[in-house]
Amino acid sequence: MDTSSRLRISRRGRLLGLAVAALLLTGCGSSFPADPEGTLDRIEGGELRVGVSHSPPWTDVSAESEPTGVEPRLVRDFAQAHDAELAWEAGGEEQLMTMLDEGRIDMVVGGLTDSSPWTTHAALTTPYAESVGPDGSTSKHVLAVRTGENAFMVALERHALAQELGTVEP
Amino acid sequence: MRPRFGHTELPEEQAHALAKAIRLERITLLVTVGTITLVLLVAGSSQAMKAAWIEDSLALLPPLAFLIAARFIRRRPTARRPYGYHRAIGVAHLVSGVALLVMGLYLIVDSGHGLVAGDHPPIGVMVVFGTPIWQGWLMVGVMSVVAVPPIILGRMKLKLAPLLHDKVLYADAQMNKADWMTALATIAGVLGIGMGLWWADGAAAILVSVDIIRDGWNNLRDAVRDLMDSRATTHDGAGPDPLPQDVVNTLLAATWVDEAEARARDLGHVLHIEAFVVPVDGGLPPLAEVTALRERCIGLDWRIQDLVLSVVEELPDELLPQLNGAGPHDE
Repeated sequence: MDTSSRLRISRRGRLLGLAVAALLLTGCGSSFPADPEGTLDRIEGGELRVGVSHSPPWTDVSAESEPTGVEPRLVRDFAQAHDAELAWEAGGEEQLMTMLDEGRIDMVVGGLTDSSPWTTHAALTTPYAESVGPDGSTSKHVLAVRTGENAFMVALERHALAQELGTVEP
Repeated sequence: MRPRFGHTELPEEQAHALAKAIRLERITLLVTVGTITLVLLVAGSSQAMKAAWIEDSLALLPPLAFLIAARFIRRRPTARRPYGYHRAIGVAHLVSGVALLVMGLYLIVDSGHGLVAGDHPPIGVMVVFGTPIWQGWLMVGVMSVVAVPPIILGRMKLKLAPLLHDKVLYADAQMNKADWMTALATIAGVLGIGMGLWWADGAAAILVSVDIIRDGWNNLRDAVRDLMDSRATTHDGAGPDPLPQDVVNTLLAATWVDEAEARARDLGHVLHIEAFVVPVDGGLPPLAEVTALRERCIGLDWRIQDLVLSVVEELPDELLPQLNGAGPHDE
């Protein structure tokens, strides 16, 4: 092997090392995973836009004022922890999912389960609670967030899991 | 009993290599099934990892094809199959080439579609034994583990393939390369997504898919050529097999031979050779000389067994198109 090719390899090795080090350094930072559209950064001290579709006891938009239910309560806690103002958007599931896909809202709540078909429009979180249906089958409940906003998604998932809701009675 | 390919008894080195190759392919099957299970476990709902296990399922095809073919090629030729069962290797090579090509095409279409559509892959947390962990770390962990066996297995197969002149083994080694390259691409893609680069996974997949498509195409083309009785090529399909020329040189070295030429096709591991010699001054040599010359040719290499030697008045150029310089169409 001549010196030039050895040099080239070592330089490439160093570049690779630098790249890995850069990735690891980023990994140690608080922003890993990061949001391509910066949702989590934006809501800190800003506004969290939440779509709600009526699905008691998870969500209830029948009251005059703000939505109530298990999920709006969870979202309010999350918003408080991140110093965010809440902007509620009540609507049907399809309308809200389209808005989520277009990035006009940040998340959707509405008693969604992990078998929800909206996976092309939304990213479904990991299940944070369960419920037992009338036929005895167990449903795993999830929240929908804008797809690819992974820092926001992970923060919301950690928050929801920390509530340790377990099985919610209908 | 010595292992054999049809009526070719394998030399010590090849018999050893064949036993090792069969063992390697069985290990490959086990490892691939293990990989598919592991990937399914961490895949969760993520689309990116679902693609990974479809590719792994395709990776089962070359070892399966090899093991099935290895059972057939032991059989001796019969009245119904006068050329034996060697072509089973050709069929297995075709299957392997198609598997590689489909894998590459699937990867490029799938990732290309995601990139064009602007899909932002979601990677959230997964609860492992009560602890929420970012799924990206799990994917990186699993992919670093599953990348190792194909690197080792592929290298070992690449060493055996030329010894056995086994094109299925060669194609499978490239399938292993495709496996570990996609695993590394997934790692790079997931880390990229973690940094907020939504296109990283798709871009990494497209980079490696180009390589896989090229390997698949080359193997498919070589397999089809062999099945169509094209001029025999080396185990990697890179160039003409040197053995037919060695046979011609051996023929020409006999004192009673004036002109000699041969045509050869790759039956799988072994060659089928038809050789023609024109004796000096048109005189017929003693039959013992002809037999001895044929034996010398067969003695050149274990892959030469099925050799027909004809003593002719002049070289038949309709059977030997290379004499007319009709070469270029081969490529």
